[in-house]
Amino acid sequence: MKNLKENYFNPFFSHIYIEESILNHTRTQQILAKFPSATVVKIVHYKDVFCRNKQNSHLQHNTQKLILAAKQGTLLYKGAPVCQSFGNQYFYYTSCIMNCIFDCSYCYLKGMYPSANIVVFVNLEDFFAEIEQVLANHPLYLCISYDTDLLAMESITGYVKEWYSFATKQKHLKIELRTKCANKSLIQKFDPIPKIIYAFTLSPQVIIETYEHYTPSLSERLSCAAELIRTGCPVRLCFDPMIYVPDWKQHYAEMLEQVFCMIDLQKVVDVSVGTFRISQDYLKNMRRQNSESAVIWFPFQKDGGYYHYPTDLMKQMECFLTQKLEQKISKEKIFRWSTETETQQL
Amino acid sequence: MIYLFTALYCEAHIFIKQFNLAKNQNATWFQEFYNETIGIRLTVTGVGEIAAATAIGSVCSIYKPTQEDFLLNVGICAHTTKKDGIFLCNQIIEKTTGKTFYPDMLYCHNFSEGTIVTGMLPWNTPNNNRSIAEKPSAEILYDMEAAAIYQAGIHFFGPHQMIFLKIVSDNGIVDKFSKEQIILLMENYQNSIIKYIEQLFSITQRRKGHTKLLCQKEEEFLETFCTDLHCSKAMRDSMRQYMQYFVLTKTDYISIVQDMCQKNMLPCKNKKEGKLRFEEFKRKLF
Repeated sequence: MKNLKENYFNPFFSHIYIEESILNHTRTQQILAKFPSATVVKIVHYKDVFCRNKQNSHLQHNTQKLILAAKQGTLLYKGAPVCQSFGNQYFYYTSCIMNCIFDCSYCYLKGMYPSANIVVFVNLEDFFAEIEQVLANHPLYLCISYDTDLLAMESITGYVKEWYSFATKQKHLKIELRTKCANKSLIQKFDPIPKIIYAFTLSPQVIIETYEHYTPSLSERLSCAAELIRTGCPVRLCFDPMIYVPDWKQHYAEMLEQVFCMIDLQKVVDVSVGTFRISQDYLKNMRRQNSESAVIWFPFQKDGGYYHYPTDLMKQMECFLTQKLEQKISKEKIFRWSTETETQQL
Repeated sequence: MIYLFTALYCEAHIFIKQFNLAKNQNATWFQEFYNETIGIRLTVTGVGEIAAATAIGSVCSIYKPTQEDFLLNVGICAHTTKKDGIFLCNQIIEKTTGKTFYPDMLYCHNFSEGTIVTGMLPWNTPNNNRSIAEKPSAEILYDMEAAAIYQAGIHFFGPHQMIFLKIVSDNGIVDKFSKEQIILLMENYQNSIIKYIEQLFSITQRRKGHTKLLCQKEEEFLETFCTDLHCSKAMRDSMRQYMQYFVLTKTDYISIVQDMCQKNMLPCKNKKEGKLRFEEFKRKLF
């Protein structure tokens, strides 16, 4: 498909679909100004485009479109069982952007959403208002970059900056910003605050090259994480999802060597470890869309509506990594996802 | 295969000539022309939403389009402000219902893009109110088939497979246009349309084979192996899953099976033994 991409696909964001009601919104205009040659299509509701039947997200990933909309209804969700809460009692997540500019073959977004196009909700104030209401009752651990890579979208939306400003004013809010982005110049704009944890998803370089299309290399991600640690920002390292490849032990061992070499693990907030797992419905959708990616065609084991690697292999992979990590970081800081309990602190 | 639909024969003329399309003498309900070698099937639907939807349903039920195929609708239309031009539709509105449809805009092209409204009557007739042009600045195309073709087509194609190309014919009153004038109008844009269709052919060719998981040879191997193992339906499905993964990862599963054969482990005597061998086979791979 490489040639097809080179020759025939429209450029990324060649088209921007905008809900008529937010056409004159300041953020809409700011984003639009960044794409002066894009074709603008006015729409009534983002779902008219995003939720069409029979879309091919695999093909759409070659030429993603931007959809600008206003999010209605629920804006905060409780953390899903497959996600780690890192010991936080009030674990929520929110999606002010849906979908990602990176194209990781194993990403659950490909099974969760009917489209690969990116929806940006411009009514951030509504998100902030709902969070303030929740904060009035209890503290909040909030993941803002689950259904997208917010940092990778920063040059288009500026949303990390807005979340940063909001978070600085809130006493009991802790935010996790998960990313594979390695753009130091973006991050250097923000003064370190303990409330925002930068969580870097790390994989061996061979997995990045094979399955994590358009993402920065391992060394770029590590270099960015190291820079953040140096400036005093809280950093989390996520070895999750671990992906099975032949010779996985060697690849993960090499990755850890590089991590230990570039990052002082004593200075990271914590680390997470977990092998790839996904809901059966999402995997079914992903397989229907993509017949070429080995990572989603692995003969998984199904338990309680979730697919995961065969139990022995899963344990072997997770134990291998945790044992190596324990040599550099205390057990209490290693969080391992397990099927039995939501999170299991080792 | 490109499934091309035009409302009128005079809109189809350039394609019949250019691609040497032969008439399908067996087609009873709609005029149909095809060239299997290059992969094009053209149907003249007749004018209006019902005729168009019926033609799509009929043709696609017979030929069963695949994921690599395209539906291409080409025809003349009216425009609220312009008197000529060729447009690729990025938004289709059905006038009667207000429903809106969005074909995916995946591929590069050299056409202008626009919104098209599909109505039951020609735009400029006295019975047809002109509410689509309520906004004086609205630049809108108007035809009588596109929305119906999308709605019928979505049963057989994805939005990334449907393309709507419209040529502005002044005010859209077909009655006032002779067949010869429409042929001439189509010929004006022939080069750009043909160039675009050729691009679609290339995309179709390159996508071929990307949707198939196992080739014929692999299917045969799977069948033999499953028979040797006395596989149940569930085991067979599981084995297929393994095979698909091995093919994608280029794992040498054949030598493992050959090794099992050399050790007289295959074919198995019964289902029980087959189950054991299957487990053994899996253990050797991970």
